[in-house]
Amino acid sequence: MGGKVTCTLGEVKNRADFIIYWGGNPAECHPRHFTKYTLTQKGKFVPTGRKGRTMVLVDIRETPSAKAADVFLQVRPGKDFEMVAALRALVKGQPVDPALVAETGLTVEQLQDFVNQMKSCKFGVLFFGMGLSMTRGKHMNSASVLALAAELNAFTKFVAMPMRGHGNVTGADVILRYTTGYPFGINLCRGYPRFNPGEFSTVDLLVRGDNDASLILGADPGATMPQPAIEHLARTPTIVLDPKVTHTSKISRVHITTAATGVSAPGTVYRMDEVPLPLRPALKSPYPTDEEVMRRIREAVMKKPAWLPAANGRLAARA
Amino acid sequence: MITLTLKQQPVVPLEAENLSPDVLAPLTHDAIRALPVYHGKHQCRLDEFFDVDGEASDQLTVRGDCTKVKWLGRAMTRGKLTVQGHAGMHLGAFMKGGVIEVQGNASDWVGAEMSGGLIRVSGNAGGQVGAAYRGSMSGMKEGTILIGGSAGLEVGMRMKRGTIVIGGPVRDFAGLQMKGGTLFLLQGAELRTGAWMIRGTIVSMKPLNLLPTFLPACTYRPSFLRLYTRFLRSLECPLPVGMHGGSYQRFTGDASVPGKGEVLVWQA
Repeated sequence: MGGKVTCTLGEVKNRADFIIYWGGNPAECHPRHFTKYTLTQKGKFVPTGRKGRTMVLVDIRETPSAKAADVFLQVRPGKDFEMVAALRALVKGQPVDPALVAETGLTVEQLQDFVNQMKSCKFGVLFFGMGLSMTRGKHMNSASVLALAAELNAFTKFVAMPMRGHGNVTGADVILRYTTGYPFGINLCRGYPRFNPGEFSTVDLLVRGDNDASLILGADPGATMPQPAIEHLARTPTIVLDPKVTHTSKISRVHITTAATGVSAPGTVYRMDEVPLPLRPALKSPYPTDEEVMRRIREAVMKKPAWLPAANGRLAARA
Repeated sequence: MITLTLKQQPVVPLEAENLSPDVLAPLTHDAIRALPVYHGKHQCRLDEFFDVDGEASDQLTVRGDCTKVKWLGRAMTRGKLTVQGHAGMHLGAFMKGGVIEVQGNASDWVGAEMSGGLIRVSGNAGGQVGAAYRGSMSGMKEGTILIGGSAGLEVGMRMKRGTIVIGGPVRDFAGLQMKGGTLFLLQGAELRTGAWMIRGTIVSMKPLNLLPTFLPACTYRPSFLRLYTRFLRSLECPLPVGMHGGSYQRFTGDASVPGKGEVLVWQA
């Protein structure tokens, strides 16, 4: 049905001899990725470093990352899902329609060659970026490459990993996952977590205007989200916690300046492979940390009566 | 006959899974008025949002623009729910029997994971019609969903049995990961129809942009479609002309699974 077969970047460094970057431009967006983890480092089972590894880049245009690649496959925009579907069929020796494969901008021979390389490597890794996960098809594009990587384990060791960025997005997923069981798109209104992306995910909620207040932590939706979502944020009470004034602060009712995590506040950041890394601040800040502000807001909220009648009884019993 | 009239638009979605004939049928007027509904995180009485008329009946009518009222007719097994206006998300989810009729539009997840009964929406529906919830193995297992207008993404996702008819155009991923059942697309679909399908039938009256993993098998006139025509005519949902004339091109897929689903595309 799905699921992610993955590993840490240390394992990639020490084992991976076949590396695919799909819909991402690591040369410009993750500039240390090649040199620290995937390409140039010598690893325990890849003693020759770059010579012992093959890299394939799949993207819609020839970005600077293509220079680092052994093979560049240019897929037509919006045809990633079709290409992965054809690859999955070829992996299993199933027939595909050559005319429809050609619409992806690649030939069946190119895809077959790609599949042969994937099957014959010792340890393959597929990194996928926003060019895949944020274009038409979205979660299904990601699901299809995750399924491809999982299915390749019938032939060799193969893993997949999203190329995350922007601060601590992986950390948010990890924490929500181990506290509620779900990574995002969670509703706690009924007193227990419910998961339904599309119904409860932030952008859908804001676009439909289904919430009447927002608390924004470590994000700037005012700069990235569609106009109806931004208008809803401006219309309803919005609280922003951020070290600097962001686009969202300008439309929010309250902005609380906090210390910058990693610069003037300690904390934990999750690397894209979900390895937690401690942060030690180099400077002192006059502002409170995000954690401190959240703790004080929570203490104030806890003094109010609980919204569920049953929970009120429980709280009274505890007090 | 019970009539509920929306008197006050909820600010945030109102979760009203109690508004089903099964729950209302044994209740007195006062008990219906006191039923809990959830307005965001607050538990409220039904009569804070609806004017209640009538009691003790499994014929339920909801009036007004209920776009923000979720879970209408959840898990109902009998009776009839009529929505005179629009309905919100999860209309008729987990339904086992009875009839739902919506005279306006419905939102996402119409008839999700239903296992019997009939849902008829005159207007448009959202995405995930008759679908499986996230993380669930199968979508609708029996029953019929008739949508007069258009529908959104992932229609019939992981459906196992039953029939869905969409009168208007459908967006991407119709019949995603379908395991059985029949999906009629009277105005065709956008992209990636039948992606990951394992079994089941998608019938389209318009040409489709199929995935490269669907291969043409033959052109024929499937006799079983006559049964469907008769069945749908009995539900006053006639399939358009051409069911008797013309023929269907059959595609099989999705080879990436690999699956044995069929996509039938009507040809004049």
